[in-house]
Amino acid sequence: MNFIDVNSVVKQYDGHLALDHVDLHVPQGCIYGLLGPNGAGKTSLIRIINRITRADSGTVLLNGREMVQSDIANIGYLPEERGLYKKLKVGDEIVYLAQLKGMPKRLAVSEMEKWLQRFDLTEWKGRKVEELSKGMQQKVQFITTVIHRPQLLIFDEPFSGFDPVNAEQLKREIMQLCNEGATILFSTHNMASVEEICEQITLINHSRVVLEGRVDDIKQQHKKNLFVVNVKGGKAIDPCDNLFEIVPSHEHSGTLIKLNKGVTLHDTIAYLNDHYTLTGITEQLPSMHEIFIETVQG
Amino acid sequence: MNKLKLIIQHEYMTIVGKKSFIIMTLLIPFLIILVGCIPVLLAYINNSADTSVTRIAVIDESNQFGAAFKNSTNYNFVVMNGDQSFNPHEFYQKAGDSLDAIVVIPADVLNTQQATIYSENAIDNSTIGYLTSCLNDTLASAKIASFNDPELQSKIEQSQVNASIKSIKWDETGKEQEQSAEIASVLGMILAFLTYTFVLSYGAMIMNSVIEEKTNRIVEVIVSSCRPMELMMGKIIGVGLVGLTQFAIWVVLLGIAGSVLGMLGLGAGAVASPEAMTAGMNLPQGSVDTELSGIISALTSINYVSLLGNFVIYFIGGYLLYASLFAGFGSAVDQASDSSQFTMPIILIMVVALYAGVACIENPSGPMAVWCSIIPFTSPIVMMVRLPFDVPWWQLLLSIALLYATALLCIWISARIYRTGILLYGKKRSLKEVVKWIK
Repeated sequence: MNFIDVNSVVKQYDGHLALDHVDLHVPQGCIYGLLGPNGAGKTSLIRIINRITRADSGTVLLNGREMVQSDIANIGYLPEERGLYKKLKVGDEIVYLAQLKGMPKRLAVSEMEKWLQRFDLTEWKGRKVEELSKGMQQKVQFITTVIHRPQLLIFDEPFSGFDPVNAEQLKREIMQLCNEGATILFSTHNMASVEEICEQITLINHSRVVLEGRVDDIKQQHKKNLFVVNVKGGKAIDPCDNLFEIVPSHEHSGTLIKLNKGVTLHDTIAYLNDHYTLTGITEQLPSMHEIFIETVQG
Repeated sequence: MNKLKLIIQHEYMTIVGKKSFIIMTLLIPFLIILVGCIPVLLAYINNSADTSVTRIAVIDESNQFGAAFKNSTNYNFVVMNGDQSFNPHEFYQKAGDSLDAIVVIPADVLNTQQATIYSENAIDNSTIGYLTSCLNDTLASAKIASFNDPELQSKIEQSQVNASIKSIKWDETGKEQEQSAEIASVLGMILAFLTYTFVLSYGAMIMNSVIEEKTNRIVEVIVSSCRPMELMMGKIIGVGLVGLTQFAIWVVLLGIAGSVLGMLGLGAGAVASPEAMTAGMNLPQGSVDTELSGIISALTSINYVSLLGNFVIYFIGGYLLYASLFAGFGSAVDQASDSSQFTMPIILIMVVALYAGVACIENPSGPMAVWCSIIPFTSPIVMMVRLPFDVPWWQLLLSIALLYATALLCIWISARIYRTGILLYGKKRSLKEVVKWIK
């Protein structure tokens, strides 16, 4: 069952169409990538799901029923443009934002202690947010997003501003939250992280959905019959007009070949075995990065 | 509702918990007193610091009034008889540094009532004033003496009058109460200024807080947890409560200061100070006593409960009206420096209201005062000036109803601007564009 169903949502600002009949179906407990270039309409869609703004038409269903205002207590939102009250103490800030999400104060305080400990921030509890480094502020922001244990988490570019070590910790936390049953909507430009953690994606371009589905399926759909071939002695392979052409590449340890249309892998392996001592052949699936650029640039 | 309470609490504690708030709240009354005292203090310093002696030669051509000028700590006179052939410039040159000025009293001074002072330096006003008063006294005595009536002097003194009108007001039961228009005006003006400064400074505080939340982007996190309207109202109410707290602290401080002064000053002062004052001011003791008791009785005749009650009602109404506008327009800008195009009209209206208030002091029941105290944008300030003068109840009710209705309308308009404005960044918005958001 889907946790979120966005059906044919339209949003217009001052004559500019930000979302044009957009659909989005996020299964329960899934890490779902919402991709798209800048200005594609991702933030508009996220704000509608968050009930910050309203759609001009279309529906947003949560767990199969129309969303209501009280549902926002069940959402955690980490916006791309991070923001905290700089003059507030770290502990007070986390508790205040947790209370705003409907958490009782006592519970908010005990959860705040736990999360600060988890992120090694306990000693900063009484300090003002502005005294923290950028990375630490990001962690505080993350805590304020997840502290009330929402069923739906919306992360807009969660890794920006994190060093690799902290980004890794964040990734682990996100996976952990997913394992505990949270559904995660993940908006990003960072395609490497999409491949690593997203099971499904929707790609929006020019206010419309242009691609959606499971990451593996999308890669299969976009494959270009590319194979990396390794032969004994690291010898170079000559092109074979009937079967394949050589694609110049420095990224691979072997030779990159592209099979001609209609040619089977079986025939190619037979040919290679006849002419070389074949030690390996691997299919080269396109990266999400390539698919993104190809789709967006049309 | 719970979230609104939480936001109010947050806004309130954020400001009240600041050291600067506590310091300013305690310091401002002292600063006001200090500012009030500065002119007195400066005059005192001026007088006490001036120890220089001006040496003046008096050339008395009348041979009669040379003694008019008495030596004092600041003036030293040397009197010489002279005639019309006297050349002041030559005399001054010869005297060199030993002389600052020369006063020439002409022979017919009693008729012309004019003497002349010569100097190379500019003569200051206090010197002219001192010389004039000396000459006036002497010439007046000479004129009185010319009537050859030994009792004339005492007759003149006895015929000096200092009339005043005592204003008595009947209360509902017909009981007489003394009132003073001056004191009522001063009180009204103080309340009008208080409303003006409070609404303006707390309105600006709200605007800055809205802009700050927008600039540091927390607003997106907050409105994903509550409605924009809740955030705006929480902010307005929280900051308003801070204003009322500050006002309450001042009332308590004033009460404490008043009762301390009452115990120290009025117990002993009612007996001792009028005497001291009469000695210094050359006034008959009776008049000071009457004046003081007049002020006290006028002060006690004012109905403070109704005055303070009405002040709070108008303060809240005016504050809601203007604060919501500040919040609404604050949301339309990205940084405080861009806000002037929106704040200018609001501040202008408030300044007009303040001017109207000042103008209404002369005639607090005149048509301008009545109209300005009913129009919602000026009423919170102008009505303060009228309050000590018993406003007809229907005017009061109409004015309050209009004020609160307009405040609600402004809140509604601002909320519509606010919910759009807080999420828009970048481009500077024009007033026209902002008005579009209301629709």
